[in-house]
Order: sequence, then structure tokens, then C-alpha cells
Amino acid sequence: MMPHSTSLFARLMRRVGVVLALGAAALITAAWFYARTAANEAYDRLQLGAAFQMSEGLVVADGSLHFVLPPSAFELLGLAQRDRIFYRVVDPSGTTLTGYPDLAPKIDLAASRIGPIFTNGSYLGVAVRNVAVSRAMSMPQGTGWAYVVVAQTTEARQALASELTTRAVILVAIMSLVAVIGTALAVRYSLQPVGDLGAALRRRDPQDLTPLTVSVPDELSPFVTSINHFITRLDERVKLLQRYIADSAHQIRTPLTALSAQVSLIDEEKLAPDDRRHLQRVQSRTTELARLTNQLLNHAMVIHRFDSIHLEPVALNDVARKALRNAVPITVDPDIVVSFEPADEELTVLGDMLSLREAIANVIDNALRHGVAAHLEVHVRQRGNFGVVDVLDDGPGIQAADWAQVTSRFYSSRSDAEGASGLGFAIASEVAVKLGGQLRFRERTATELFCVSIELPLANGGS
Amino acid sequence: MRWISSVALTVLALLMPMQAKALEGDREIFPAKGPDAGHLVVHAATDLAAMRPLIDDFQNIYPNIAIEFTDMVTNDLFRQATKVCAGEAEGADILLSSSVDQLVRLANDGCAQPHSSSETKGVPAWANWRDEVFGFTFEPVVFVYDRRTVPPEDVPVSHDALSDLLRRNPEKYRGRVGTYDIAASGVGYLLAFNDSRQAPTANGRLLETLSRTETVIRCCNNEVLGELVAGRISLAYNVLGSYAYAAARANTALGIVLPRDYTLILSRGALIPSRAPHPDLGKTFLNYLLSVRGRRVAQEKSFFFAEDAALPAGVDGPAALVESGIGRPIRIGPALLAAQDEIQRKTFIADWMELIGRTRSDR
Repeated sequence: MMPHSTSLFARLMRRVGVVLALGAAALITAAWFYARTAANEAYDRLQLGAAFQMSEGLVVADGSLHFVLPPSAFELLGLAQRDRIFYRVVDPSGTTLTGYPDLAPKIDLAASRIGPIFTNGSYLGVAVRNVAVSRAMSMPQGTGWAYVVVAQTTEARQALASELTTRAVILVAIMSLVAVIGTALAVRYSLQPVGDLGAALRRRDPQDLTPLTVSVPDELSPFVTSINHFITRLDERVKLLQRYIADSAHQIRTPLTALSAQVSLIDEEKLAPDDRRHLQRVQSRTTELARLTNQLLNHAMVIHRFDSIHLEPVALNDVARKALRNAVPITVDPDIVVSFEPADEELTVLGDMLSLREAIANVIDNALRHGVAAHLEVHVRQRGNFGVVDVLDDGPGIQAADWAQVTSRFYSSRSDAEGASGLGFAIASEVAVKLGGQLRFRERTATELFCVSIELPLANGGS
Repeated sequence: MRWISSVALTVLALLMPMQAKALEGDREIFPAKGPDAGHLVVHAATDLAAMRPLIDDFQNIYPNIAIEFTDMVTNDLFRQATKVCAGEAEGADILLSSSVDQLVRLANDGCAQPHSSSETKGVPAWANWRDEVFGFTFEPVVFVYDRRTVPPEDVPVSHDALSDLLRRNPEKYRGRVGTYDIAASGVGYLLAFNDSRQAPTANGRLLETLSRTETVIRCCNNEVLGELVAGRISLAYNVLGSYAYAAARANTALGIVLPRDYTLILSRGALIPSRAPHPDLGKTFLNYLLSVRGRRVAQEKSFFFAEDAALPAGVDGPAALVESGIGRPIRIGPALLAAQDEIQRKTFIADWMELIGRTRSDR
């Protein structure tokens, strides 16, 4: 047995959910990095353009360095509308020509001779993006390098980055939702055959030991094969057991008959009264044993017949009459009134004469042994598409709660009852079910007798 | 309550004579109309005469606010604000200046605090930077002429026409054209700088012509206009429309022309300093200036021009100023930082002075 039950669906969804969540987190992180890079690149170009424009403003005239700040550079930077701008122009001697003298990002200015250098930093307590560009200036005292450093606050970059990230997050969220819903539907669809298989197993008749024939996906077929294998073995075991019981009963019958004969040969007159009573008990038990053995044989026979024989039309009146004749012994209590009421027209059912006679006889026998006080009636009649044999007695009947149990083998409603074998109803029920009908009970009421009915479908469809 | 604060003010003024002197401006205190509950300090490079109706109306709405108003020259205001930002002096709750480039520089250096309200939302994008510098007026930059000495056929309707006029009649107008001293006036510099950017060639030609006609330069609008009213000059170049119109109302001899090639439009800037002692009062006053009511009062009594209103009566200019493309608003934004560059400024002023200033008459 499993220690605790969990649903496959929940297990799958939990794992898929974890994978999706991890995937979404990874995607969002990637999107954030990407957005930040994209925003930086977009605004870096503007900033670099502005820095280049500023460096173009450096001119050597009359032997000294002059600087004309192009307003267009600021217009370019102003495209990041809310961002503040700081700049510093350094002449070849290293002194600040103009701008913010204390703007000194951690950039090795000399390194910017190879190419522009971008860094992140802070100025006046706010985060800024710095860029440094260089320009070679031909001065009278030789060529020197002038530098332009431009810093810009990062509001526009952050706004763009967060906008891009937000869009990516929305997309990822939608995709994740779609994936979760899709997975749920797919998992439900995939698990459908498991449910179907369970339902097929649940719907099966307890007596049905034939292999399963439901179609299942490849993944489930080993499971079904195992179940079928198990069923087959069980079926073989059950048949083996039945054959064993039948064989045993058959073997027991011969010595039992001899025993019976020997017991009847004992002269009762010579016996002491006590011994006589013991003998009577022996006789009674012997009879009981013989009957049980018979029933076991009958049962085995009935079951085996259905495995091999071909069903043929049987007249219900006929078989009921024969069964009654069989079941009511000559030694029946003369106070008991037995009546038989055949159907007006001949009712034909598809069946096996011998099995059917045994079934009806067992029901009558049961009534005689356990039910009847003074009256037993056997009626044959048509009820809808069914031919019905009713066995009524004026006894107390069987409690409705016990109806389901009395049809199982070796069950007796009165455990103390002498000679109650409990096979009678089981045989009757099995035969009725095999022939497509059923065994029914009707409670005793003030006006009606207790009734056990064997219902069998009519051979000609009841027309 | 009221007298206590007045006394406190007096004591404050006595205790800090140095600072009071450093301000170098005309200071006027407008006591609260009701019980005194707040003291708003305004530093402005804006004529008190223009601001008086606005202050009066503001105090009608907020009778409990007393206003200390100090009028300074733009450059003094900027110097003072820079000091305040560095923590070296006591500052104002709101700065008003026509030299918006200086305000932009202050905001860029982190000396401003942002302010957002339903009123600031109504400010056009070109007159708002970072929610820190707001333009609250709409002032075309105009030519003013004296009808007594300039015949109608001489009235210049564009910058080129002005150049031509002075070239054709050099003797008639020698020493009779006046403009700002851009070294002394921040707004003069801003306008000259923008002129040079709007039409570099035409401007160069005009400057050259102006230099030949020995242009008279004066520190401020009102002094230039004063010369004109006094009849000492006939034409004033690059005068703020609001002052020009106020002067023209007082003296019918003055005529105003909005140049038809392009007309610069200046929006006077307002800024709440980061170290404002009562930023809330400053913001209240700023909200008033930007409100519909404040703008109406400004248009009717102080500055006379508005973006959404027709030109005032008697002003010669294009009807749809901004839509026609003739009106060129000076965008309040980072591009103005170029004007504030130290070297740029020095070089520009030096060049300008070399042309115009050598004829400067220090009377």
C-alpha cells in the first residue's frame, strides 16, 4: 500500500510550475540585463555624439587653445529630456579649460586616446554615466592631447530600461500563463486512459475473470498485461479449486452411499433409547452430508456446463415442473400444501435444461427447508420481456439487508440452522446471471408471501 | 502675531546688514492682509511694478502670507543663488528670473527642488524642465521706436530691415539706437546668444551695423526705454515686450514691432531652490503664477502678452505668432547650458563688446 496518496496531476503540475517559474525568472533577469544594455547603448551614442561635437569645438588659434561650445551638443544630450548634464574640457597641459572642474570620473584620460571610454559613477551625489573622448591638438609647443569628459544623469536610461523590462515581464507572464494552462490541459488529456482503465476495472462483474479488453496507450499496456496475467492466473486457480472440490465431492459420494446403507442396516429395535437417538442423528447428518456433496457437485457441474455447452430453447413451464418434482421429496410433511401454477402460454428461454432445473430446484429446496410453514407455491409467468419463476412460501422470509449476501457461496442467514449449506441461492443466482437474468427477492407483507424469483430473458425477445 | 514677525524681520535685517547689502536689490515687504501665518521670500529679476498686481492678487487669495520681495539684476540673483546652494547664505523660497539659462544651470547643479501639481501640468513642454524650472510668462522680444523721430516708412519690420535702415541712414541714427549691455544683464546675454543661433549671418550683419552706428548700451530694459522716452535715442533693439508695452501705454509716442523674420519669445522662469526655507509657500506662489487666474492677471496687468491670447492693441506683429513659426520660444532645457558655459560666455561677450562696446558711452 502507498504511504500517502498524491495525484499524478498535482505532481506533474508542481514540477512543471517550478520549471516555468525558474524559466520565467531567468527570462526576466535576462530581459532586465538586455534592457539595461539597450538603454545604455541608445543613450551612450547620443552622449558620445555630444562629446565628439564638444571636442570639435576645440580650436588652436593665435598659438593658443580656444573652445567654442556647440549648443547642438547640449541639444543632443537634451534628447534625454530630464537628465542633467555635466562636462569638463581639459587642455593638453591638464588644466580644466571650462565646465565643472571637480568632475573627475575614475577614467584614465590617457587611455581614451585609443577610443572613447564609458564608465558609471556618481557626481554631486547622483548616479551618472561618464564618457571621455580625446582629441590631438597641434599646438606651437608640439602636439598634445585635449580631453572632453561628459557626464549625464541616468534617469532616461533607467526609464527606458524599466519600460523595456516591464514589457518583457508582461510577455513572459502571458507566456507562462499560457504554458501553465496548456500543460494542465495536456496532462489531463494524457491521464485520461488511466481513469478509463480504473473505470473499466470498477465496472467489471466480480465473477468476471476474463482478461481486460480496454485499449490503452503504450505506456499503460505493461500494466494492463500484468493485470490480465494476474486475472488469468486467478481464473486458473479458481477453476482448479472448483475442480478439486467437485472431484472431492465425487470421491466422497461413494463411501457416503455405503455409509448410508450401512447405517440403515442397523436394527433400531435392538438399541437402547440413547443409542437410538444417536443413530438418528447419524442418519440425519449423513443425509445432510449427501445433500451438500450433491450440491457441490451440482454447482461445479453448472459452472462447467456453461464453459462448454451450447444454449438451446427451454420451455419454462416444463423445467419448473420437473424441478418441483425433483425438489419435493416423497417424504415431505403431508401438512404442507404445495401448489404449482404454470404460465398460460408456453414461455421459452434460451438456456440449459439441466442447469435451469438445478437452479429452480435449489430455490424450492431452500424454501422447503428454511421457509415454509404450511404453504409453498410455484408460479411461472411472463413479466415484460422476462419469463419468471416465482417461489413463494408463508415463512418469515429473508431480511432485505441479507439479500445481497445470501447469493454468495456458503452463506447461511441462520448460522445455527441444521443442514444449511448456503449453496442453493448461489447456484440459482449464478445460473440466472449466466443466462442474462437475475435472482430477485420480494419481502413478505401483510397480503403477500415472501417470494424468490428467477427472471430469465425470453428467447423470442418477448414478442 | 503680525507685529512680532515684523519686529523679527527688522531685527533680522539689523543683524545681517552684510547680507542685506549683498543682495544689492530693491526690497519691499508686503505685509499679510489678514493674520500673519507665513513669510514668503521672493528673489526676482523682474520689475516690482510688473509683479505688484500679481502679489496683490495672490494675497487676496492667501491673506495670511506676507511677502518679502527683492528685485535684483539677473547676474546678482544667480550669484546669490549659487552661494545659497553651496550653503553660504540664506536663500529665498522662490526665484523668478528672466535669465532662464541661469535657472537651468542652477537646476542642473542640483540647486532646485521639483514641484508637480495640477497647475504645473498645464505648462507647455518647452517651458518646463525636470519639473524644476518653469516658464510662467510669454514675452516676445521686440523693437521699440519713437514715432517722433522715426517716420512710418522707416519702421523696421525684421532684423534685416533694421540692418538696411541703419546702413541707408547711418548719420540719422548714429548714437540713436539702444540695446542691452549683455555683460551686465543676463537676459541681454541670453537674447543676444539666441539671436546669434537663430540667424547667424543676418545677426553678424546686424551687429556690424549696430557697431557702426555707435549703439548705446544700457544695463536694463527700463534704462533703455528711459532713453527712448527721454528722446535721446530713436530705436531700441531686443526689448522685452512686456516692458515695451508698459512704456508704450504710458507714452503714446512709442511704437512696438514684432520682427517678422523671427521673434524670440522668452518665458520668465521660476524655480524653487533646494534650500528654500519655506518651500511650501514658494510652491503655493508658483502654483498661483501658473494658474488660470494668475495668468489672466499677468496678461491684463503685468506682462500683457500670452500664448493663447491675441497681441495687445497697438502692437505691430504677425497674428498667429507661434503657429506661423515666426515666434521662436527659447526652450527651457539643457541646451541653455551652452549659454552658461564660462568660456562660451566670456568669448561671446568679448566678441560682442569688441563690436558694440567700443562705442559705449558711459554717461
